[in-house]
Amino acid sequence: MGLRTLGLLLVGSVSCQPREEGPPPARGAISYDQHIAAGERTPTGDTLANPSSGSAEAKAMGEKLFAAMNCEGCHGTGATGFAAPSLVDGRWRYGGADAALFHSVFYGRPRGMPAYGGLMDQDAIWQVITYLTSQPIPAVVPTQAWR
Amino acid sequence: MTQLSRLLRATTLIGWAAVADAQDDGQWTRPGKDLAATRYSGLTGITAANVARLRPVWTFSTGVLGGHEGQPLVVNHTMYVVTPYPNVLYAFDLAKEDYPLKWKYRPAVDPASTGIACCDAVNRGAVYADGKIVYNLLDGHTVAVDATSGKELGKVRVADLKRGETITMAPLVIGNRVIVGPSGGEFGIHGRVDALDLATGRIVWTGRNTGPDSSMLARTGTFKPFYARNAGPDQGQRSWPGDTWKRGGAPVWGWLSYDATLDLLYYGTGNPGPYNADQRVGDNKWTSSVLARRPRDGALVWAYQFTPHDNWDYDANAENILVDLAVGGAMRRVLVHFDKNGFAYTLDRATGEMLVAEPYVTVNWARRVDRATGRPVVDSTKLTGASRGRIERICPSLEGGKSPASPAAYSPKTRLFYLSTVNLCMNWQSTEAAYIPGTPYVGATIPYTPGPGGYLGAFIAWDAATGRKAWEIREKFPLWSGSLATAGDVVFYGTLDGWFKAADARTGKPLWKFKVGSGVVGAPITYTGADGRQYVAVYAGIGGDWALLSGDLVSNDPTDVRPPADFAPDLARYTSQGGMVWVFAR
Repeated sequence: MGLRTLGLLLVGSVSCQPREEGPPPARGAISYDQHIAAGERTPTGDTLANPSSGSAEAKAMGEKLFAAMNCEGCHGTGATGFAAPSLVDGRWRYGGADAALFHSVFYGRPRGMPAYGGLMDQDAIWQVITYLTSQPIPAVVPTQAWR
Repeated sequence: MTQLSRLLRATTLIGWAAVADAQDDGQWTRPGKDLAATRYSGLTGITAANVARLRPVWTFSTGVLGGHEGQPLVVNHTMYVVTPYPNVLYAFDLAKEDYPLKWKYRPAVDPASTGIACCDAVNRGAVYADGKIVYNLLDGHTVAVDATSGKELGKVRVADLKRGETITMAPLVIGNRVIVGPSGGEFGIHGRVDALDLATGRIVWTGRNTGPDSSMLARTGTFKPFYARNAGPDQGQRSWPGDTWKRGGAPVWGWLSYDATLDLLYYGTGNPGPYNADQRVGDNKWTSSVLARRPRDGALVWAYQFTPHDNWDYDANAENILVDLAVGGAMRRVLVHFDKNGFAYTLDRATGEMLVAEPYVTVNWARRVDRATGRPVVDSTKLTGASRGRIERICPSLEGGKSPASPAAYSPKTRLFYLSTVNLCMNWQSTEAAYIPGTPYVGATIPYTPGPGGYLGAFIAWDAATGRKAWEIREKFPLWSGSLATAGDVVFYGTLDGWFKAADARTGKPLWKFKVGSGVVGAPITYTGADGRQYVAVYAGIGGDWALLSGDLVSNDPTDVRPPADFAPDLARYTSQGGMVWVFAR
């Protein structure tokens, strides 16, 4: 679900539903109770989720974008790592949740990852993330052995 | 007290005999030792007969990982060490026991620069002049630091990260001019050199490496290229389609040299961008070239392009070593250059005439370099570009027959050049590249394969007068260290698997080796200590391209796990990253 769709749902839940029926259990709606009684927990909103997760079309588009946006120049062909880290080893310097991945691409990261937020729209960023997260993670055995 | 008198006092204390060559001051004040960039020391304390007794006498961990390219300086019994990013400058007191630090200088360097540098966050060292240590920061600044106190005297921005520019090269000071240039051949930069005033840091002139004559400082009557095809206005613009020269690369990340008699500064330029040659039809002057300029006003005097329309990322950033040689029976003032393209060139350094060009490694992209035109005779089946598909087995690889990161040395005693070579070939697949400022502008996938012969590198001795190899020592891995030649007829180099080695300068017989831990991509130096003895220093600290190619050398990042390089799968078995300064004596 993209930010834009999420916003529409919220607007809909407030303005279009009859007041007496109460808000429908729409995904993304913020519960007042949960906010008040956060206690030791983080207040619950919605998490940023990849709207194109699992889409073969998004994956194919993401692969093209990964080359076209010069990602390969640093992360290597197939994102296996070059001047910048591997993105297909199942390990993430800044977190591998959808929200963290989106942040990394949109805002950049301090060790040289450019901010692509001004260069790509959100759908395109999610397509690149779909491509990366759909790559098979090699049997990551933390041992490298020689004979 | 002057440098000389201080040195004389130090050497007098223990007797003059240890310093046999009075012409060598026992210091190392410039990247390449002298303005001619010979990396030759006249010291004779260490000889082929006694080098076997060499042992480590001091070490220091720089606390920084990443490729430790370049070399320390030794001035007034102080050793100056510049680390890779974050470009710490250490000053060690060589006159005291244990070489304690006098000071360390920690500049603020933008961490974003580590993502703009193409090939590891390296630095190739500093230069000493007029009581100052001058060097470049990765994020595009030149700094001058007081050599005695460590106080920052000046900091000038000379490159722009947002345009893909970083700086990795070591500056050279010629009179009161500090010459610097940006890296970024993979980021679509507009290459140039800047001359800064040593006293004020003011940029006195800027000479572009591509573009119209006005920006290249190519003036009528002053610019005299040797070959007729290079005459005519605006060569640096007309050899490109449209305005592609504005983002055509030609970075300056290698070494500078200077001939005081001719009053000429020499430097090499890097590759044209993007790698996809279809996007830049033409010779792409003056990428992959050597340029000769007058230091006082930057005027371009001559230029020679080693690889016209470079299809293979054969940057010409290698050092241009200035020597006098008998070529074809006549003494010539020459410039010797071991290009990434696999040919060793001997040029007349007054005119830019090509005198000798012979392959020093396996070369198949060109058959030879034509003596009459100075142009390579290219094998058209090895041309690349998005329209040509995948081209197999091009030799040498884009690591170069020799990397410019590993400068050669020259001994006037043996009249031989000594250099680290790489025996790799490559397959090349180009794709269309889009220019997005601050991101790579490349458009190619280029896997490597081992070159012929069953070895990946060799340390060789080269006769530049005849274009022949005198001897070679084959190595298991590619060689990427600088060379040091000495009057003791011993030459030094290091290996990627972490050995520091000495060989007989005349025969190539291996004489000594010591395992320094991390692989060597730096350049050894030698100096006279406060006790009058001869010392040899070198960095350990694998990196540079090897941080990219052999990703399994990295152990400090649990979130970046990579397979080994397929052409050298064993490298991480013998070494990993590190950063150490080693000092040896006998």
